[in-house]
Amino acid sequence: MTASMNRRVFLSATGGAALVLAVVPEAAADARTGTAAPGASGTGGEFAPNAFVRVERDGRVEVTVPRTDIGQGVRTSLAMLVAEELAVPFAAVRVRTAEADPRYGGQMTAGSTSVRFLFTPLRRAGATGRVLLVRAAALRWGVPDAECRAVDGRVVHPRSGMLPYGRLLADAAALDPATVPVTLVPRDEWKIIGRRRRRVDNADVVTGRARYGMDVARPDGLVAVVARPPLIGASAEQVDAAAALAVPDVVAVERLPSGVAVLARHTAAALRGRERLAVTWAGGDPTASSADWLDELAEAVPAAPEAPPGTPFSASFRMPMLAHACMEPINATAHVTDDAVHVWVPTQFPEGVQQQAAELTGIDVSRVRVEIPLGGGGFGRRSETDVTEEAIRLSALARRPVKVMWSRDDDTRHGSMRPASAHTLHAVLDERGMPVWRHHAFATWPLTVAPFFGRPELIVQNGDRFRYAVPGTVTARVLPAPLRTGFWRSVYAGQVVVAEEMFLTALAVRGGLDQVALRRDLLAGEPRLLACLEAAASAFGWGATLPAGHGAGVACLDDYGSAVAVVAEVDCSGERPRAVRVVVAVDVGVVVNPSGLEAQVQGGVADAVSTVLGAQITVRQGAVVQSSFRDYAWLRIDRAPRVEVVLVPSSAEPGGAGELSYPPSAAALAGAVHAATGRLPAGLPVVGEIG
Amino acid sequence: MRIRVNGSTRHVDLPADTPTLWALRDGLGVLGPKYGCGVGACGACTSLLDGAPFRPCTTPVGDVGRREITTVEGLSPDGSHPVQRAWAELDVPQCGYCQAGQMMSAAALLRHTPDPTDADIDAALRDNVCRCGTYPRIRAAVHRAAQLRREGGDR
Repeated sequence: MTASMNRRVFLSATGGAALVLAVVPEAAADARTGTAAPGASGTGGEFAPNAFVRVERDGRVEVTVPRTDIGQGVRTSLAMLVAEELAVPFAAVRVRTAEADPRYGGQMTAGSTSVRFLFTPLRRAGATGRVLLVRAAALRWGVPDAECRAVDGRVVHPRSGMLPYGRLLADAAALDPATVPVTLVPRDEWKIIGRRRRRVDNADVVTGRARYGMDVARPDGLVAVVARPPLIGASAEQVDAAAALAVPDVVAVERLPSGVAVLARHTAAALRGRERLAVTWAGGDPTASSADWLDELAEAVPAAPEAPPGTPFSASFRMPMLAHACMEPINATAHVTDDAVHVWVPTQFPEGVQQQAAELTGIDVSRVRVEIPLGGGGFGRRSETDVTEEAIRLSALARRPVKVMWSRDDDTRHGSMRPASAHTLHAVLDERGMPVWRHHAFATWPLTVAPFFGRPELIVQNGDRFRYAVPGTVTARVLPAPLRTGFWRSVYAGQVVVAEEMFLTALAVRGGLDQVALRRDLLAGEPRLLACLEAAASAFGWGATLPAGHGAGVACLDDYGSAVAVVAEVDCSGERPRAVRVVVAVDVGVVVNPSGLEAQVQGGVADAVSTVLGAQITVRQGAVVQSSFRDYAWLRIDRAPRVEVVLVPSSAEPGGAGELSYPPSAAALAGAVHAATGRLPAGLPVVGEIG
Repeated sequence: MRIRVNGSTRHVDLPADTPTLWALRDGLGVLGPKYGCGVGACGACTSLLDGAPFRPCTTPVGDVGRREITTVEGLSPDGSHPVQRAWAELDVPQCGYCQAGQMMSAAALLRHTPDPTDADIDAALRDNVCRCGTYPRIRAAVHRAAQLRREGGDR
């Protein structure tokens, strides 16, 4: 499997719990989403040349976005692509999130792929509408298409005048799209792509009108919360529901594979009922501890092959588990009736939920609707279908709409974790201290939510992005996961790349080498990375003397079809290290929405500050220790560094942005602590004990 | 019982020990305040009680009494409050889920500190988690809201 195919893997659910991997070739996705034929219609005073575009008589345009907005801004950026090619003012566009539907092709939101994969298909979807409207006007005027231009929702012709789209709908809908060639707007004529655009949902967010999964309320609906086993791997043995059922407005108590659900007419009653449940749990290992797990991983790190002659250098790092901790706790609402299922869930995997609902209920997939409200964060967690399984099962039992709400405690303790890992890196150095050979050996766990991600070669391929001119290899060993593990922003790059960049910084600190110069020398054959490195170093003012106790760290990453370099400054003069400033230079190819890109980069930096300077998930006595933002020490505004985002101009095809800045920012921050203190970090977080 | 929410008196048919958050959300359909943790650790539900920030998730509705609750909906329905304007203008939201709470903390800050420093902002908003990391824009938006407020008269 090639690296690029690896980025295109996505999950499909079977049986609601088991997950298998399928591969969607880009060409197939293009063919399914970019042509005019599927879903074309022109009746009812509107023109819908494909599933993504609908022009209404008053000239307003509805754009259907086939991805889930979990904060990355795709409802804005993807709609911009369509509006550009349709030649309509962005203000005339209303954005709709697609329901699960094969007409849209693959709908999974993952792998920083939304803009990358849809850049051409969605522009073609908009352009298809435009060329048909132009043809309709040209026919009416009796002039060649080429003499007409589409501008701001109108077709204009120098002698014939102007026709607004609203007056061309029926004519355009009557045309055969196959007879009109689709052309794309040349880059130098773009009016929307590349300009800062505020989010289409801002007005709703700031007035409280934005609707998330948690806000779904159905008539006659129930709210369910699930009592989950206190020990990892335990399950309910005996349930005494009497006290729970005695709580006013508690309606039922039901057993699920994941625990014991309390269903009530409102949330407070469900939570109160859960407190009153008496459950006897069996199983689990009360001696399990993440410190031991990390020791086991460290012992399992494969040995390095025999090194060539030279000065050897090695370092070891440990990376902890991380929870996703989406701001909006995990939730889903389902309504199962005799012959249909309706699900409302901010999922990253709509088609998986649709298939899951069909399999759990025996109802045909064509009778399953999956509606997608806004999602309050995702970070990979919402690609899983555990909560929809709970909601579908409970609604099938209750015969009413049921919203399953995970509490924050559930979310922190019982979600999937980013796998922990242990790394040992070896290098052979020349007389200047520069690496001439390297080996990276690590041990980690698979992703239990995607068993395919148990193969060491795939994990290496996903995580290892080493582009420096140092020959060597990477060897991984995969131990069985002791708890549920899943996709977390940047996936294995979050451990593997961070270890590799921390190692390069360790080489520099050891040999008294300049971190930027060291990387510059090794990136001679990587012009995109090199340009990012120079841009970040220059914007940072690399080389200037830092205040006493401060240190700076550097890291780079080439991934998702993009390149990035980070310089971070940390103040280690106080009791706790404090991130002061982070400069990120990115080359993501063509930028669709600079404001959205900057936000994604800032977000990755915030994750990096959080996980380098404090946040981790630990297990003691068989249970996850953390339970909320009180003890899962996520970044707050008072510790937030200045973040400067430098866009390196590029005409390359769009690359991904959502996961791009996390690994190099984490490595640069850790490297800054190393540079400031002279102490090699044992891993992440750099403060406290790991695991 | 009756409580005052965003200028109206509303009847809540839930027990007095119900957290105000669920009285607002499930009882009254006021969905701006968000559930993030239920233990006062994240700030997503932050609203105002007689103008001071409070955590509806840890305040029993029976304790509210006759005091006035202001949620994000109460800033203004049309987004014209300086904090709302600044948040939209500077494109602060990513997922947006925490932003109602962030804005309510900011609105309360500006009532008594019309020209806040970064340190004032950090102190007033440090208990509001943003998991997306919008802090740089939040800080800029509070300054912008302060400016809009001075230009447009007190809100």
